[in-house]
Amino acid sequence: MSTAAFALIAFILAMYVLLDGYDLGVGAITPLIARSDREREASMRSIGPFWNGNEVWLIAGGGALFALFPLAYASSFSGFYLPFIVVLWLLMFRGIAMELRSHFPSEIWHQFWDACFAASSTLLILLFGVALGNLLRGLPLNASEYFMGTFAFLLNPYALLVGVFALAVLAQHGAIFVMLRIDGTPSKRARTLYGGLWISAVVLLPAVTAATTLVRAGVLRTPWVDAVGTLALVSLVWSRVAVSRDRPVQAFGASCAFILALLASAAGTLYPYLIPAYPPGHRGLSIFDASPSPYALTTALTVIIAGLLAVIAYSSIVWRHFTTKIRIAE
Amino acid sequence: MDAFTVDRLQFAFTVMFHYLFPITTIGLAPFVAFYTFKAARGDAEAATAAAFWTRIFAINFAIGVVTGIPLEFQFGTNWAAFSAASGAVIGQPLAMEGVYAFFLESVFLGALLYGKGKVPTSVHAGAAVAVWLGSWLSGFFIVATNAWMQHPVGYRMVGARIELTSLSALLLSPFAWFQYLHVLCGALVAGGFVVAGIGAYYLLSQREFALGRRFVADGTVVAALFSLLVVYPTGDRNSANVTEYQPEKLAAMEGLFKSTRDAPLAIIGMPDVQHHTLIDPIFVPDFLSFLAYGNFRANVEGLDADAKALWPPVNVTYYAYHVMVGLGTIFCGVAVLAAFFLWRKRLFATPALLWLLMLTMPFPYIANEAGWVTTEVGRQPWIIYGIMRSAKAGSPTVVSGEVVFTLIGFAGMYFMLGVLFLYLTLRAIAIGPSLQSGVGDAAEAPA
Repeated sequence: MSTAAFALIAFILAMYVLLDGYDLGVGAITPLIARSDREREASMRSIGPFWNGNEVWLIAGGGALFALFPLAYASSFSGFYLPFIVVLWLLMFRGIAMELRSHFPSEIWHQFWDACFAASSTLLILLFGVALGNLLRGLPLNASEYFMGTFAFLLNPYALLVGVFALAVLAQHGAIFVMLRIDGTPSKRARTLYGGLWISAVVLLPAVTAATTLVRAGVLRTPWVDAVGTLALVSLVWSRVAVSRDRPVQAFGASCAFILALLASAAGTLYPYLIPAYPPGHRGLSIFDASPSPYALTTALTVIIAGLLAVIAYSSIVWRHFTTKIRIAE
Repeated sequence: MDAFTVDRLQFAFTVMFHYLFPITTIGLAPFVAFYTFKAARGDAEAATAAAFWTRIFAINFAIGVVTGIPLEFQFGTNWAAFSAASGAVIGQPLAMEGVYAFFLESVFLGALLYGKGKVPTSVHAGAAVAVWLGSWLSGFFIVATNAWMQHPVGYRMVGARIELTSLSALLLSPFAWFQYLHVLCGALVAGGFVVAGIGAYYLLSQREFALGRRFVADGTVVAALFSLLVVYPTGDRNSANVTEYQPEKLAAMEGLFKSTRDAPLAIIGMPDVQHHTLIDPIFVPDFLSFLAYGNFRANVEGLDADAKALWPPVNVTYYAYHVMVGLGTIFCGVAVLAAFFLWRKRLFATPALLWLLMLTMPFPYIANEAGWVTTEVGRQPWIIYGIMRSAKAGSPTVVSGEVVFTLIGFAGMYFMLGVLFLYLTLRAIAIGPSLQSGVGDAAEAPA
């Protein structure tokens, strides 16, 4: 039962990374692919109908963690206090940048929000990557399962490496999304940019894998991690092939598979811990320490899964109406 | 200041600022759906109205969303001990809010804002209805969570942890339902006054005659109906629940220091907490006994029934409650009077009443906020009534300096958001419905 709860939270967060991942990625690459006011507007419009729904996956993940593993929720959120609040501020800036840009017809107004949009998207990806890196590396919990994460502790080389890797992966994800949604110059620039990002992902993937083996000695060589690792490699190559053959839909699918495989290997590395110990061998917080009663678990799982199935159903019906490409007027 | 005080200050500030926007979205959502629905059936004037209110709604929704995100996460960041103890219970309605309500609102708002001309008009109208449903459901789950903290049901204690034993007891708790209906009616009063007040502004400034009349008429009907419902039965049943389950909150609300038979109702008066009296009160004899128990002779428990350590802050609770009731009386009167004039077909030709409608617009907002202050401050010193003290609910690793830092950040950010909100909303109102382009088409580049 606790394992099912772990899987559900992993699933919700993976959906968040897949979905909000592309719109964060679009935000991060917008300054590079869109030069004029019209182009930047098209770039923001490409994710306009979707981003808010995408971000709810993060809220739902937070809610599910709260309900299913309250102790982990309390410990990690208060332990990451300042970095967490900074993430909230960035999410707020990004949200209002997208929502308020179109409400006033002035280039200065647009430029300001475009800059906020790009900066907050980039920083958010980096910070989410750093957070994941720290989670994989482990956190120094005290006897009552709490810790105090200072910036100096959190900004370690391994976590920063994961952050940079996350940026490369999601920027690439966003570039493919732009090729899918926009017709015109930004799409061509996104394609060129994708080439560079792909190479950096190819370089960073083994580096991150090797570094993870170093910080989490002994846990990596499980059949699960081997299997998803292979899947990651295959889908990374596949997305490159699909882009060069001009099949953005396929490339997007491959990119999703790549991200899912990476997250699945991260989840496999963590399991059964929600917060592994740092340094290794100390006290960690596992799914068995933090889980509520069987009744609460069953109820929460049923209610959340039923709701999410409905969400997936109506989102895909609604979003089918937004498959036409955005064209940019000269 | 210790961390506890700053934590409370931060939560009060962020939640009160945030709540201004859900009041509007909950109250305006039915108007947006109504006009969008009419537009889908070929009413061109309603289409203009729908585009206008969708724009106002979208600005409110945007600021409501961004200021709402910190709230759910603040439980974990600032109130970790509370979250660890009660997450298995209150995490459920909060997770349901995300999964059942917030998704619905967000996904369909995307379709409502960007779908005009892209999706069939029936789907567009359906999206508006889904957004409406989402905003009301969202309100329900949040109020159900709060109601559980006011009057815990369906749980048992396992050591210091609280375990859920019945989700249906939590969601179907009568305490939650009357609190929710009261909150809903309060927001609808605000929505009605916003629509009527902006309509009145157009009529007084001699423009947008057709839509202005429509706004005044539709808004007045909603404001009048829900002004009455907010008092009876929802407000009345809510006080009955407070009387039964939280007697010291009722005593603080009414400034009743000593348990009294035939307790009088204080219309005004200033509590003197040191000498346990009201200064310069105006009383209605026996009336509090009647309101609380439906019997003029009934004994009403005063603050003296409890040790002083268990008293809520009397001044804040008392004044917040009286502000709510006082403003409530004013907006009830204005709405009912306007509705009467509307029925006699004289409202549009009575500038004095149009002025009143316009100037009353802020009152429902203040009353909504004051109502929440009453219920939240009146629950103190408990964070979960009878189970957990607020003072023990904070995060063990977070120190006051950190919270002061983030409070300064929130203050700066929310100041900016407030300025942006006022600027964009007032600008949209000044341009007016007829000259406005829709939110989606404003950015729509013609292909």
